[in-house]
Amino acid sequence: MFQSVDQAIASLEKEKYICSKEIATTVYLAMKMEKPILVEGPAGVGKTELGKVIASSLGMDLLRLQCYEGLDEAKALYEWEYAKQLLYTQILKDMLGSMLSNEKTLADAVKKLSGEEDVFFSDKFLLPRPILMSIMSKKPTLLLIDEIDKSDSEFEAFLLEFLSDFQVSIPEIGTVRAAIKPFVLLTSNNAREMSDALKRRCLHLYIDYPSQELEEKIVTLKVPECSSHLVRELVKSVHAIRALQLKKEPSISETLDWAKALAILGRDVLDAETAMDTLNLILKYEKDIELVKKNAGKVFVH
Amino acid sequence: MISAYVSHKKINKKFYDFIDILKDAGVPVSTAETLDLFTALGHVGFDDRHVFRQTLRTSLVKDYTDIPVFDRCFDAFFGKKGPAKGSDLPSAVAGAMEMESLRDEGLSEQDLDSLTALLDDFIESLDDAIFFERTYQEILTLFLEDPVVASSSGALGMIIFNTRSRGQHGPMGDSGQRPDETINLNQVMLRQISRRVDERKIGTQIKDREQYLLNKFIYQLKPDEVKEMKELVRRFGQKLKNRISLRKKRVKHGGIDVKRTIRKNLQFGGTPFKIYHKDRKIDRPQLVVLCDISGSVNQYSRFMLLLTYTLQSLFSKVRTFAFISNMVEITPLFMEMNPDTALNSIFGDTDFTYGWGSNYGRCFNMFVREYSDSLTSKTTVLVLGDARNNNQDPGLESFIKITERTRNVFWLNPEKRHLWDWNDSIASIYREQCTEMREVNSFIDLSEFIDKLFTR
Ligand SMILES: Nc1ncnc2c1ncn2[C@@H]1O[C@H](COP(=O)(O)OP(=O)(O)OP(=O)(O)O)[C@@H](O)[C@H]1O
Ligand SMILES: [Mg+2]
Repeated sequence: MFQSVDQAIASLEKEKYICSKEIATTVYLAMKMEKPILVEGPAGVGKTELGKVIASSLGMDLLRLQCYEGLDEAKALYEWEYAKQLLYTQILKDMLGSMLSNEKTLADAVKKLSGEEDVFFSDKFLLPRPILMSIMSKKPTLLLIDEIDKSDSEFEAFLLEFLSDFQVSIPEIGTVRAAIKPFVLLTSNNAREMSDALKRRCLHLYIDYPSQELEEKIVTLKVPECSSHLVRELVKSVHAIRALQLKKEPSISETLDWAKALAILGRDVLDAETAMDTLNLILKYEKDIELVKKNAGKVFVH
Repeated sequence: MISAYVSHKKINKKFYDFIDILKDAGVPVSTAETLDLFTALGHVGFDDRHVFRQTLRTSLVKDYTDIPVFDRCFDAFFGKKGPAKGSDLPSAVAGAMEMESLRDEGLSEQDLDSLTALLDDFIESLDDAIFFERTYQEILTLFLEDPVVASSSGALGMIIFNTRSRGQHGPMGDSGQRPDETINLNQVMLRQISRRVDERKIGTQIKDREQYLLNKFIYQLKPDEVKEMKELVRRFGQKLKNRISLRKKRVKHGGIDVKRTIRKNLQFGGTPFKIYHKDRKIDRPQLVVLCDISGSVNQYSRFMLLLTYTLQSLFSKVRTFAFISNMVEITPLFMEMNPDTALNSIFGDTDFTYGWGSNYGRCFNMFVREYSDSLTSKTTVLVLGDARNNNQDPGLESFIKITERTRNVFWLNPEKRHLWDWNDSIASIYREQCTEMREVNSFIDLSEFIDKLFTR
């Protein structure tokens, strides 16, 4: 566990993740309070990455549950291994036969058999999925429930018990409680609003685009071949571009791609011409590129 | 850390006060969140402003659209400056230090505590009306005359008595007391009261301002208010969108699908082990918006379009048109840029006019001729305009065609109802053909209307 907010910042920087005091505060508090975090924010600001680097920094196992429409308990929690169950009944056919040979009626046989049901619905035949895995794990675990906004609200409701008590009920086995509480991070792109019940169980973290200062740090860390002079100019331009009214703003990963490309091109300053030629690295839409070109005087230093 | 003389209890009260302010400002905070805050505060110090602010934000605010409001409340309540030396509760500490100066007037520690408690209780007991209508001095007088306060004994009682009589006899009072003592007390208490009153108003003022703007007649908004409104419309629109989409999720499942349940449960001899519900189709209307953008109503059209595009994802399809005497489709503009920029480029454009003034008839004719493909039995049409047709042909045939081909036609008229049909307005002619024509004045009217579209 992180010992302080500052230590969290320093530890994550070792994993090449630059975080603001705000991000570190929430992470630190969530660990202390054993609460999940709901992380929201625009695409590409490092929501998923945050989960990964916390896990690697603290040597936790990372379990990732990618959400999508139609995701259900069988994929998130557990499934019975039907094939294995079937195989075992086949192998044990003779044994079952002799066991049931004394029963006179079909009803008696069924009764006898159902007495042995437990054997087939024990954890030998249980196939745990990420949520159950995170509960059963004997090691500190980080469970990343990614893009929860893509799941259905039924799934969200199902998560509630797990998020408040770190336990789940399996009808055939009973309640399974975590020996070591997993650290849970949920991310969302705001495709839909989460319920109040879910939010109450979480600390909330909104990650926005980083300040120029932090983004310079990120680029320096991740693209060391980029000169510090170029980093400054490039980040400044990206911030000016984000301030324009674009259809899709460039995210951190686009800044990084741009930095790499310019470093490969051997540039040390970001002249307008090079910038214009490489805009398609950070902007997806033709209209956005045109808009930036129109505002070149404002956006680029040279 | 916090100076010793500001006790724990007083600090806790500060946080409860702050939560009340957030609630006043319209940010919901539940008990669970309040408890979380106090747990969280046990793990951090107050000496780093960023950490302190984020501790409050992360435990209290769960809707990111509320973050700007939280920040304003925080700045107003805890002060705007960076980390104060030693503590980040400037007002709590400054207040306590100010009280401390009364020691010089012969008040003991105990007296100071009871004075603080008296002030707190008094402020707590006041009605909102008093906060907003009385001056600080008037509130101080009320305080001094409060029976509980007036019955204080000892040194405190003396000082309160003297301050009160001094107030009654004017500044050059002849009570024979040292004047500087009462002046000091008067000033300290006045500052204490003004601080508390200002604090308590923070949330209400933010909310009142929002309500004022949202309810103000759109044509009366001043330019700087329009700017403020745009930010607000985005926030408010986002909230509206979240609310509508949550509501839609809830109704997604209809009643029990008996046929399907029986069929699927045949394997269990017809005993319904598993119940199947009807999938109710999520109702996402198609929207066609026709906005008059002539001078008299263009501010309404701006906000209507801004709102429409904030809510875009709620509709399966949105097409927008603007007209004065030419009908022009503006949908593509909104696909390319954010609504505000799109609006500016629309209003800068000139090919909306043909001849002089609004011509509804000509525009409806053009619409039917050129854009009929946008009209289906699932379409809801919104017309925004004052129906002032400059005495030209109403194009009624075309308008009727529009109503016949679509599910609903709503007309939002920014003009006062009693002015409909006055002068060159032909509101009634169109109204007879519409599902409804309604008066809209403010942004609230517009958004309430949109909200209703989804419950119909
Ligand atoms: N603070 C940061 N420090 C270092 N790298 C970062 C940071 N934030 C983002 N990145 C980089 O940006 C990339 C995108 O981040 P990530 O995929 O985590 O974004 P996201 O918020 O999960 O986006 P989406 O909403 O699209 O899933 C990551 O690969 C990472 O390298
Ligand atoms: Mg992600």
